Amino acid sequence: MIKTTKTKALSLSMMVSFALTGMANANVTDKDILNDQATTDDVVSYGLGLKGQRYSPLSKINTETVKDMRPVWAFSLGGEKQRGQESQPVIKDGVMYITGSYSRVFAIDARTGEELWQYDARLPDGIMPCCDVINRGVALYGNLVIFGTLDAKLVALNKDTGKVVWKKKVEDYKAGYSITAAPIIVKGKVITGVAGGEFGIVGKVRAYDAKNGKIVWERPTVEGHMGYIWKNGKKTDNGISGGKPGQTWPGDLWKSGGAAPWNGGTYDADVDLLFFGTGNPAPWNSHLRPGDNYFSSSRLAIDPDTGKIVWHFQTTPHDGWDFDGVNELVSFDYKQNGKTVKAAATADRNGFMYVLNRENGDFIRGFPFVDKISWASGLDKKGRPLYIESNRPGDPADSKDGKKGKMIEATPSFLGGKNWMPIAYSKDTELFYVPSNEWSMDIWNEPTAYKKGSAYLGAGFTIKAINDDYIGVLRAMDPKTGKEVWRYKNYSPLWAGVLATAGDLVFTGNPEGYLLGLNAKTGEVEYKFNTGSGVVGSPVTWEMDGEQYVSVLSGWGGAVPLWGGDVAKRIKHLNQGGSVWTFKLPK
Amino acid sequence: MKKSNPYLLFFAFSCCLLLCATAFSRSYDDIIESDEIVIAVYSDFQPFSYIENEKEKGIDVDLAHAIAKKLGVKLRLRWMTADENVDDDLRNNLWKGHFLNRTVADLMLRVPYDKAYSLLRDDIGELVHQHVHMFAPFHTESWKIIFNSKKIESVETMAVFQYHDIGVEVDSIPQFYLTSAFQGRMRDRAKQYPTIIEAINAMTESKVDAVMGLSSQISHYQGELAKDEYPLATNAFPMIGRQQWDIGMAVKADYRQLGYAVGDIVDNMVKTGAMHAIFAKYNATYKIPDLYKTAE
Repeated sequence: MIKTTKTKALSLSMMVSFALTGMANANVTDKDILNDQATTDDVVSYGLGLKGQRYSPLSKINTETVKDMRPVWAFSLGGEKQRGQESQPVIKDGVMYITGSYSRVFAIDARTGEELWQYDARLPDGIMPCCDVINRGVALYGNLVIFGTLDAKLVALNKDTGKVVWKKKVEDYKAGYSITAAPIIVKGKVITGVAGGEFGIVGKVRAYDAKNGKIVWERPTVEGHMGYIWKNGKKTDNGISGGKPGQTWPGDLWKSGGAAPWNGGTYDADVDLLFFGTGNPAPWNSHLRPGDNYFSSSRLAIDPDTGKIVWHFQTTPHDGWDFDGVNELVSFDYKQNGKTVKAAATADRNGFMYVLNRENGDFIRGFPFVDKISWASGLDKKGRPLYIESNRPGDPADSKDGKKGKMIEATPSFLGGKNWMPIAYSKDTELFYVPSNEWSMDIWNEPTAYKKGSAYLGAGFTIKAINDDYIGVLRAMDPKTGKEVWRYKNYSPLWAGVLATAGDLVFTGNPEGYLLGLNAKTGEVEYKFNTGSGVVGSPVTWEMDGEQYVSVLSGWGGAVPLWGGDVAKRIKHLNQGGSVWTFKLPK
Repeated sequence: MKKSNPYLLFFAFSCCLLLCATAFSRSYDDIIESDEIVIAVYSDFQPFSYIENEKEKGIDVDLAHAIAKKLGVKLRLRWMTADENVDDDLRNNLWKGHFLNRTVADLMLRVPYDKAYSLLRDDIGELVHQHVHMFAPFHTESWKIIFNSKKIESVETMAVFQYHDIGVEVDSIPQFYLTSAFQGRMRDRAKQYPTIIEAINAMTESKVDAVMGLSSQISHYQGELAKDEYPLATNAFPMIGRQQWDIGMAVKADYRQLGYAVGDIVDNMVKTGAMHAIFAKYNATYKIPDLYKTAE
């Protein structure tokens, strides 16, 4: 009798210790991150793989079975701090890590939804994030959970305890910088950009040693600024971005050129390059800065070891509409005439989708992914927009009499044909799934404006819906032909990321609160479930104990509710929230 | 379940009252009763409101003290981080509060006093500033150039800045003006600095020959320099749009009584010269708003 009890006790303690060692040993390695798109039992990077394809080979939940999918647990982010939840969960060894609004991180038992730990960044008074207090997710490396804060710091937490291991100030929040994007880990380095739409900043991409937070290199995204690399702790000059200042900027405006890489980046191991998009140039009025204004509104390919710019592609040279070029560049291969093309695609704020050669940045093709583009008539052979000059917002010099400047209607609006919300690519259908919006804006110079009590020349604008019955359109785009294969229309603007799976499904969410599962081939809605608040996060899927799970954050917010106009009417009834919803098929 | 404890409700309600007392703008009576007024001023904005050697200083800070004293209440300053424009500052600090921290002040200083601005309408015809009442102009602001007399003999017109480098603050009218007026002929000569003091320092280090900025700021900084070496120019600014504008203050639209009380205090300060004295203390040029001139 005694013996049996002992054995039982022993086996139980063995199980416990197995479980513990199992957890302790399962540190995330560079290999895990590089294979993330192929492994189904975890999600260890933003984008389900550094390429950012957001495709999972899981197919247990598919067009046949998805109708039976049901929630297994919901987790509340709690408190009164319910703002936009734009996070993408990551999952490792049965633990889910998410970020919440106001720079919070949660570790949750992925089986039960029980909280393991919570970290709240202590935010200083006087931070001024432009577009809600959101965060888009964490990066995992070793035993660390790494994320960026609204006061522009990188914080690395112990994955088991949530305690701070290292913390680094990336930029000064007082100068208007913050971080909202999820960092990525490439070759043991944390790579991050910065946000900061305020005039006077200079965008930079930086790499830090993931283990201890020591800086490795820093690359300014505006022409004329020196980049640096740290060798044995010593800061060394590493070449001026673009060679020298003043080539594409007048006067000394390059000194505060903007071009913030605020939406994070992707990486492709085949060509060993990082891809970061950059924001619009400053000042906002394009007439003050004739020239292309490098490297604003561009995609930059950066060497992950040295931080050098290998190539660049500018989507909106001399931007005058606030068409940030930050949208993610997603690497993919396709066959043409029996040859494999190493390509990458991006759906820009400006309404055009671009397919580039990711080895050298050459333009392969580009096409509109929205119904109407008013500022350009098309793209030339090199992918440069053919401007319609009459649609450029007016010169402030023309409104010096103190009257309103000329009003123009620009389409898409500055919130973009697509904003930050990531696209997905399915290798089964060979289609991109693009969450887009059909809206335009009236924009004019506003001389009756003040800043800090000083007279100021502002820009007035109002965003308008183009159609009565929808703004959001989830589109399936063929990158080889530029043709739209199907569309799903949504009354409110779409603001959530997309996930494609081998189950021929495309998951996304809408501000009305639904998690949607659509047929990847036809766009038919095969599944919908209301999460109680608007969905503006990115869904993920993974496998645990032989079952496929789907998870998404719910919590309305982000940039859309902060802007008024016609669009505000469509969304003002939407309620705030803050929760994680997790689904699976019944056993 | 349906029954709620009335005592508990009362307790919760009074807690809220206690906590909320300073979280919302308040009426004149509430301010007097609480013995404290919260006045919003911009942070790091010399010579108007700034902290030097851990002491709160500046024209607006002195004015805030004078207002509190006349009302017979204690003063609490609310330091504002400037947003992109005054519309945002009014929302963040006076009528709604910033979404990070929903508290507001009772009174906000350095708000434009401009009929066109206060009556501005949005795209659907609503008053943009319906939530606030702007009143009590206390000085008139304009643009001014300070220059290095060793480098430039005199500044008769803006034309000299086709040949001489001039420092300006980023994202300000002087920068827009110099980079766009006269077909951009002064564009390459305009050198931008994050703050006006950095532009002034660049001038004293001979990196630029002149600086253009707010008249009260420029004259204040001139006070720290040799006046003969760095004189103020008296040139005109053709095509700059607004040549001068009045600076006043604002309260939440519902609290006119507070506005009238503060308005009387300011009116008195302007007419007795007390306002001029505050400006003189900081070596800032004082210009009396037209409102009081017509009343004289």
